[in-house]
Amino acid sequence: MTNGAPDMADALFLAISVLTIGSAIAALEMRSLVYGSIALMGTLGGVAGFYVMLDSPFVAMFQLAVYVGSIAVLILFTVMLVKRELIFKKIEDPKRKFAGIGLMLITILALGAIILDSGVKTITTDSDPVDFREIGGDFLTYYWPALILMAFILAGSVMGALVLARREDTIENEQ
Amino acid sequence: MSVIAPKFRLGYFLKGIFDNAFWILTIVTLAGIPAIQIVLFYMDLPVIDGELLTAFLAFTWLFNPTMQIPLIKSLLYSDLFRIVVFPGFGFAALIAAGTIFVERKMLAKLQLRVGPFYCGKIEGLLQLAGDGLKLISKEIIIPAKADKPLFWAAPVLFVGTAAAFVALIPVAPGGWVVADLDVGLLAVFAVIGFFPIITILSAWSANSKFPFIGGIRALHQMVSFEIPLILSLLGVVILTGTLNLSEIVESQSNFPWIIFMPIGAIVFFTTMLAELERIPFDLPEAESEIVAGWLTEFSGMMYGLVQLGSYLKLYAFAALFVIIFLGGWTGPVFWPPLETELITKGTPIPNYAGDPVLTVFAPGLPLFDADPNEWVKQQQGELQYTSGQLLISGVIWFVLKTVAVIFFILLPRGVFPRIRLDMLLHIGWYKLIGLAFVNIFIALGLVYAGVLGPGGIM
Repeated sequence: MTNGAPDMADALFLAISVLTIGSAIAALEMRSLVYGSIALMGTLGGVAGFYVMLDSPFVAMFQLAVYVGSIAVLILFTVMLVKRELIFKKIEDPKRKFAGIGLMLITILALGAIILDSGVKTITTDSDPVDFREIGGDFLTYYWPALILMAFILAGSVMGALVLARREDTIENEQ
Repeated sequence: MSVIAPKFRLGYFLKGIFDNAFWILTIVTLAGIPAIQIVLFYMDLPVIDGELLTAFLAFTWLFNPTMQIPLIKSLLYSDLFRIVVFPGFGFAALIAAGTIFVERKMLAKLQLRVGPFYCGKIEGLLQLAGDGLKLISKEIIIPAKADKPLFWAAPVLFVGTAAAFVALIPVAPGGWVVADLDVGLLAVFAVIGFFPIITILSAWSANSKFPFIGGIRALHQMVSFEIPLILSLLGVVILTGTLNLSEIVESQSNFPWIIFMPIGAIVFFTTMLAELERIPFDLPEAESEIVAGWLTEFSGMMYGLVQLGSYLKLYAFAALFVIIFLGGWTGPVFWPPLETELITKGTPIPNYAGDPVLTVFAPGLPLFDADPNEWVKQQQGELQYTSGQLLISGVIWFVLKTVAVIFFILLPRGVFPRIRLDMLLHIGWYKLIGLAFVNIFIALGLVYAGVLGPGGIM
């Protein structure tokens, strides 16, 4: 990116941004919840595209595998099990809508001003992208207590969910 | 009164011909030629012998015997060839077609039937072509209350995702793969994650109860079996220290990983059967319970596309098993590598007086050497063989192993009954995940004991 001239990366960045933000708006505004969750997948996939552009395919692949592959599927699954009337019922209130849009604009402008003012945009670097092997090494050496702690929290929450979801009134079938 | 076929008149006939010619000329001039020019503008034309290969030059060289081999080589090593023909779609589709035929005949033999028999004189060889023609010529029926955009998109997306999976599979040494990623295995996991989404969306969009039940079953099955699938491959990743599929194959030049990871291989094979929706895990398509599961409402070539996608997926999973556990293309070299000098300098043959009268050149394998510098490297001892010499034996070993794995995927269909949904989930969540963890601990033990792996002796 020399002299601020637009190049291929700029065009790609613009396209991915339009995809991400557009499908985020669509995810909120679609009447059909199923199409809304498809648009949410578009947003998550666009974020993965940003990671690819930032030379970190490792994170991008995890974004695709975890968020698009699992979280979005869970959302889709939940939406499909909701009753049909509930899918299409919607509280229309133009005042709240405009208030929401205004709040969003104010927030985005404030955040953008803070980021522009902080000087992040002036950072330029020519160093190589971080190798994912180094990330793995860091996880296993420096950050392992945090990793173990997170594993215990997740295991505890799964067990709690299993206990909560357990039904006493059914008899367990033997094969 | 309306007539289906109006009375023939020469004037109408000529007018029809002129009309068609007029519209074809107009469309070609306004759209076709600009489109070709845009494509030519962005296409990288190959450079052969310092000359840019334009279309005119290509036609000229087509009839020049000395330039034919460079011409074919330039096409052989283009990205388009990789995507469309050899390690990509065409190769996989060929193996998929063979799989369908072998599956039908082998099932028939297992169940003491004949199978396809009449089409194509010899053992029903042309049955597949007949089925394909039938599917193409059939009408595509879309249910009246279906969600049309999603219903149309689902088969195409399914084939596209399966093709993306195929694109990640390396077939032969020397980079014969469409997309050689450093995070290849993670990309495989990401691509596998798209299949349940497409399945459930197509099932929902058909707006019919049998596809929906089948789609929900498929979702249960695929999402819960993805976890042991990923965990069972982590052992090999720990031992090799890489996620690149080509490097995983090269790490097995001495022994395949199935020797040290038999539990992982068994878990991966079982989850593979479940991900492919094959018997005994074919609940999403259970034909005796829910018509055809999530495929019920598909007709004509839409059904054909879904079938093509599922068999491409079968090939890709079998190839992944071969790459990770069976050593990919490694094996004894069939085609004995020739000395480089026999190919480049030739053998001088003297007459009775000892004067060289003629030089004999061994042909070698001129087509398959991507990089002429490989010969130099081989002479300096950096490379054992050039990639061209290894290509043929590598592909033969890869295809042999893949076909063997496909055979073992097909075999349970003739033998096992379908298992119940609760048993399926029980197997997935209790047994396979536990076994996958056992496999990971074995791998960690081997690494920390210093036997294998990045810091080990091999």
